[in-house]
Amino acid sequence: MQSVKPSGHSIMENTKRAVRAPTSVEAQEVHRYLMDFKWEFEKNRTKYGTKYEMANLTKEQFKLTAKEYARMEAIKEERQFGTLLDGLDRLDAANRVHPRWAEAMKVFANFLECGEYNAIAGSALLWDSAQSPEQKNGYLAQVIDEIRHSNQTAYVNHYFSKHGSDAAGHNNPRQLRSVGPAFRGIKRAFGDGFNAGDPVECSINLQLVAEACYTNPLIVALTEWAATNGDEITPTVFTSIQTDEMRHMANGYQTIVSVINDPKAKLHLNTDLNNAFWTQTKYFTPILGYLFEYFSRYKVEPWYKTWNRWVYEDWAGIWLGRLAKYGVTSPPSLREAKQDAVWSHHDVAILAYALWPLHHWRHELPDEVDMAWFEENYPGWYDRYGRIYDEWRKLGFEDPKSGFLPSAWLIENGYIPYVDHVSGVPFCPKLAKGACDLRILERNGRRYAFSDTYGEQQFLLEPERYEAQDFLTQFEGWELSEVIRAGGGLRSDGKTMIAQPHLRSDNMWTIDDIQRIGMKIPNPLKMH
Amino acid sequence: MSERGSSEGLNSKNGQAFIDEFLDEKNMTVKESRDVVLVLMKSEEMEVVVDDIILGEQKKSNPSIVVEDHASYYWIKADGQIVIDVDIVADIMGRSYNVYDFLVNVSSTVGRAFITGNVFTLTTELVGLDEALV
Repeated sequence: MQSVKPSGHSIMENTKRAVRAPTSVEAQEVHRYLMDFKWEFEKNRTKYGTKYEMANLTKEQFKLTAKEYARMEAIKEERQFGTLLDGLDRLDAANRVHPRWAEAMKVFANFLECGEYNAIAGSALLWDSAQSPEQKNGYLAQVIDEIRHSNQTAYVNHYFSKHGSDAAGHNNPRQLRSVGPAFRGIKRAFGDGFNAGDPVECSINLQLVAEACYTNPLIVALTEWAATNGDEITPTVFTSIQTDEMRHMANGYQTIVSVINDPKAKLHLNTDLNNAFWTQTKYFTPILGYLFEYFSRYKVEPWYKTWNRWVYEDWAGIWLGRLAKYGVTSPPSLREAKQDAVWSHHDVAILAYALWPLHHWRHELPDEVDMAWFEENYPGWYDRYGRIYDEWRKLGFEDPKSGFLPSAWLIENGYIPYVDHVSGVPFCPKLAKGACDLRILERNGRRYAFSDTYGEQQFLLEPERYEAQDFLTQFEGWELSEVIRAGGGLRSDGKTMIAQPHLRSDNMWTIDDIQRIGMKIPNPLKMH
Repeated sequence: MSERGSSEGLNSKNGQAFIDEFLDEKNMTVKESRDVVLVLMKSEEMEVVVDDIILGEQKKSNPSIVVEDHASYYWIKADGQIVIDVDIVADIMGRSYNVYDFLVNVSSTVGRAFITGNVFTLTTELVGLDEALV
């Protein structure tokens, strides 16, 4: 319905159309022609076989041609880099970011970079697997999008390291992040979850769960937290990234459309969906809540509310709920996921503090203002976690001369940390208030720890997929400073550590302070 | 009250009251929703879209629409569908602007989004399954 009087512009455009011979064809008409140019095969000739039959009549919801795609993305890039390199640079935006939040961006930008990089391969294998030309076209644009996003997230680190107050951790994290125990879960969720195994399972992990569900808190909600804490850089880049994610969500929906009438979907789809939901939830839920709440001075809302809105009410209700008539059921792991949405980020936070020397970011303990907010929103928080932080502060958590390491304190006090073998996420059964059920499995002379039955079941189904050693097994017996050196965890003076337990520029810990303590990495699996 | 706003419904509760209801047995399974969610990155063009289209003709035909300012983006939720005729946006702005230009600032959707000609549609309907996607 036309509710606005035609402007001079539209009258001129209509006149031009009426009096001139056509000089170009509408993009969506070109799209229709292009989709008719296709090879017909009796069987799908993909390198990446799937247990599902992907139908060949699915459509592309955004009808992309190379010309319109390139024009659209060029506008995004011009706007983003124009804002960053002109307006925000002149305003000294990087130094207006609250120092706590600038540390959070060392983590966010790095783990999103890992996700985007792995998604290049994930969407490329889907392009190869799909049969429908329109579906392939959507996946192909996604491959290019993911390359753009890898550059964008790397550029966030570059921008902060060039213009911000503490470059260390923004400019050299790749080696350290591959060693650090708090970062390894990303390899399961964003690594092999996106690009190894059955392509349809990859699509469910990447597009239907990670992108359609968790990029909304990760990339959209995050920008509100960033802006609230003085960061105008991240919203400029991340909301631009998300404009492509919107098409990737449509790609995930089309994957489901392409397989849902296949009889094999009745056998496999709900299991695959539950595994993907749990795989992504296991990493996203604690890490996002931890970064939002523990790295912000100004808090937007408790993480469980963000999770309730974006994950439970909207993604689950609007995506999965609407597909119920096609046999999609509620994921059984939703129960544990909701318990984790309330508590798992606090469980992970205390272990992240305990393991602080192994990170590529600086991290200060919650102060009185934080503690009051946590207790108000998470009744019982202080008794479980806060009193330990107070004790650590008294014992010299921040002081390099104290000789105090919180990880040693945990073990001395019977709080034994493990690493969940499937998700790669550290956990401590004695401290955990999120869903946690310690399970130790012995197989072929090796011992494995799991924090839940879903992960254990995934391991038992495909043990060859989880051959990698966890952090505690890999570095068992190493002296802590050796691990930090091996990971490249030192600043440019070769002595001061990248990680620090406070945000000040004085009294910084050096590798000598760690070496003097002489802590050896234990293997908790040998304590059983 | 629509309970569609981001701080309405269960999210209006705080602390233990929220946790108790969030983890209540009745909320342990997926509940089907016919809502859709649209996230628009703030820009000159999106101010026109929000003020003149979403809060204009769309709100008249669909009073359930909620628009919230979340600092860097607009968060919009509605029952059923949201439709943006980009030709109207071009007319208001007085310059060339097509549906692909509009997509430059559409940050996220929850629901089924697609384009037909110069019209962007976000719907609760299962396009491609319950009805054909043209």
